[in-house]
Amino acid sequence: MSTKPCPTCGNPVPIGDRFCGQCGTRIEVPSAPNPNAGVGKTMFFSGVQAAGIAKLVVVKANSADGLAYELGGTEHMVGRTEGAILFAEDPLVSPRHANFFYRDGKLLVRDEGSINGVFVRIRTPTRLESGSVFLVGEQLLQIEALAPDFGPQPDAEGTYFYASPKRASKMRVVQRLRGGEIGLIVRARGDSVTLGREENDLNFPDDPFISGRHAEVTIAPDGVFTVNDLGSKNGTFVRITDESPLEHGDYVFLGQQLLRVEIS
Amino acid sequence: MIICSRCGKENQDQFKYCLGCGSKLQVAVPAPEDPFRATPVAPEPAPLGMAKTFSPPPPTALADPESAVAFQATRFQAPAPAAAAVVRPVASPGSAPHVVRASGAIGGQRTAPTSTGPASAPSRAPTPAAGQEASRPRPVTSQQDATAAASRLATAPTAWRPGGASTAAPIPSAAAGPRVSVAAVQAPVRSTGQPSPSVAPPAPVGAAAAYPLATAAPIPPAASGPTLCPRCGNPVSTGFAFCGACGHRMKPAAGAVVEAALEQAAALAPEPVKATVRGQLTLIRPDGTEGGSHPLHQGENLVGRGQGHLFDSDPYLSPRHAEFVLTEAGLEVRDLRSLNGVFVKLTQEETLESGDTLRIGQELLRFDAISPPSPLEDGTEIIGTPNPGYWGRLSVIVGRDVDGPAFPLFDETVVLGRERGDILFPEDGYVSGTHAQITLRDGHVYLTDLGSSNGTFLRVRDARAVSSGSLLLMGQQLFRVAHQ
Repeated sequence: MSTKPCPTCGNPVPIGDRFCGQCGTRIEVPSAPNPNAGVGKTMFFSGVQAAGIAKLVVVKANSADGLAYELGGTEHMVGRTEGAILFAEDPLVSPRHANFFYRDGKLLVRDEGSINGVFVRIRTPTRLESGSVFLVGEQLLQIEALAPDFGPQPDAEGTYFYASPKRASKMRVVQRLRGGEIGLIVRARGDSVTLGREENDLNFPDDPFISGRHAEVTIAPDGVFTVNDLGSKNGTFVRITDESPLEHGDYVFLGQQLLRVEIS
Repeated sequence: MIICSRCGKENQDQFKYCLGCGSKLQVAVPAPEDPFRATPVAPEPAPLGMAKTFSPPPPTALADPESAVAFQATRFQAPAPAAAAVVRPVASPGSAPHVVRASGAIGGQRTAPTSTGPASAPSRAPTPAAGQEASRPRPVTSQQDATAAASRLATAPTAWRPGGASTAAPIPSAAAGPRVSVAAVQAPVRSTGQPSPSVAPPAPVGAAAAYPLATAAPIPPAASGPTLCPRCGNPVSTGFAFCGACGHRMKPAAGAVVEAALEQAAALAPEPVKATVRGQLTLIRPDGTEGGSHPLHQGENLVGRGQGHLFDSDPYLSPRHAEFVLTEAGLEVRDLRSLNGVFVKLTQEETLESGDTLRIGQELLRFDAISPPSPLEDGTEIIGTPNPGYWGRLSVIVGRDVDGPAFPLFDETVVLGRERGDILFPEDGYVSGTHAQITLRDGHVYLTDLGSSNGTFLRVRDARAVSSGSLLLMGQQLFRVAHQ
């Protein structure tokens, strides 16, 4: 019986099981290959996937698999209007969005200058620069290091700026709304912020895709952040800056499309 | 009758500025235009010096700079005067007698004469310590000449006593406050009479201080010649009321003292109603009492740091802060793109526009509308959290162009308060339990005060009409407007 790694703990989970036997994480893809799944859809050699050839499986909202795209060439452009893989109906996908390509036999994804970027689900604590964005549940959040406050300084005319009293803070989390507007801004009181649905520093009780305790962001003295997934169900995704290697079981968000990477 | 030294127009005695050219009028005592040139005329300055030293205590509003913080004392002390002193460039310290810009006067200094003044003065008296004092960020006027004077004193203490100033000398030092030695002579001038540190011109104070010395010891040559503009450093001929390079208002030399005394008198006594004075700004202290007033004349009235004793000690006022235009139609206030703006206290519901700034308690807040997403040129929409229905956002401004926390506005009525409401400021003791509310109604946004103790203030966008009785927040002070 074939297995796939649990996205949370890495334990091999028999294909067809809906929960990880070790940690209980819900396995989103009941992926017993159904020969009839491709009826009426385009299937790319799903039965005979060659070794080392990767496949991108579109994960639907109901956790069922949608289309699967076999990455049989060397480069595979994804976009709304250009490329081998098209998501014509997704306005969050740029005309040319990302490229899945092989280098030295390894699969990588590169952001082709898209507006909205390529988000990859993290498996381990991941470093982020100030200004980076990441996804937890439906929340697109940006983290920013705050410059130390040197107290009030007069302007060129010697006038002081009146500002609200504030607590010292090293970083803030900015909620980015669809369309680019800022929703809320929260300034951290300490060196880390926990995120989730309840009982965290920052809670999103109305977000159905966020776990109770979902993720944590920590700032180091050098101003570099580390984001860590706290065993969430849907994972934490960070926007890649340029290109990123992919492994079997990785998840990638392009616009509204969640893609699972399968490499045999 | 005062004849303007600049344009020759005759002005009534109580006028401070020439009706003809706007120059500051040099009043009463035939004050020499160039104090340095005048110094040899020994006896005459003496009374002047006396006048300074004995001029009545500053208007009470100014007596305590901390309390001058109308509205919210605790908070406003933040940028300590000391800091101001450090940053503010004392006009070319090297070039001497150009006292001034004594930053510090902005806050701490004024306390000197009224409070600790006389008591502590003697103990610190004429020692060379003056020099050290000058190097400290102490608000004191640039101690250049004071230092010189002090050292002179130290070396030849007797030298200056016989001079014309001998009578004046001991007294000033007594009244001088914590200042030092000869600086004492100069300090009270500033503290009692001259409430405009930032504008205070190079010459006057230094001249006053140098006075007693002049009879005994020659003033260093550096003391004469054109003064330097405290703002841009451009040399300004003595007697000019404005810097030719940047337009900064220079106060006339010796006249300033008397003029300042007059100002005090004006502040203490009810403002005489003149033909052109048709209104006034009354300072409201934190405890609700009145702390002096500033006349509003027919036409345009400039308000800013350096435009009157009520404004001079407020480092949150821009030099050109606002303009009050008084016409038959009423009074209009225009924000001259000041750093901190002019806020009007709400008496009724006001419309909020995106980008408007408001104050509740100590909180400076900005309202921004959130517009629905629209695709970019290539048809792509920007990714982000799905908007659950936020129509606006309230951001706490924690620095120039720096936003602190921001709260999305969701319900059609959002209540702000310290204890109850949708957006809370639990740590701000100047915010009432429920303070104000922001309402979305028929596509417009409104701001309403909910009977708060300290009021809700909305920043004037560019200009607006203000009715008599309105309360305005400018810099850190609260003013009540009155006009006919």
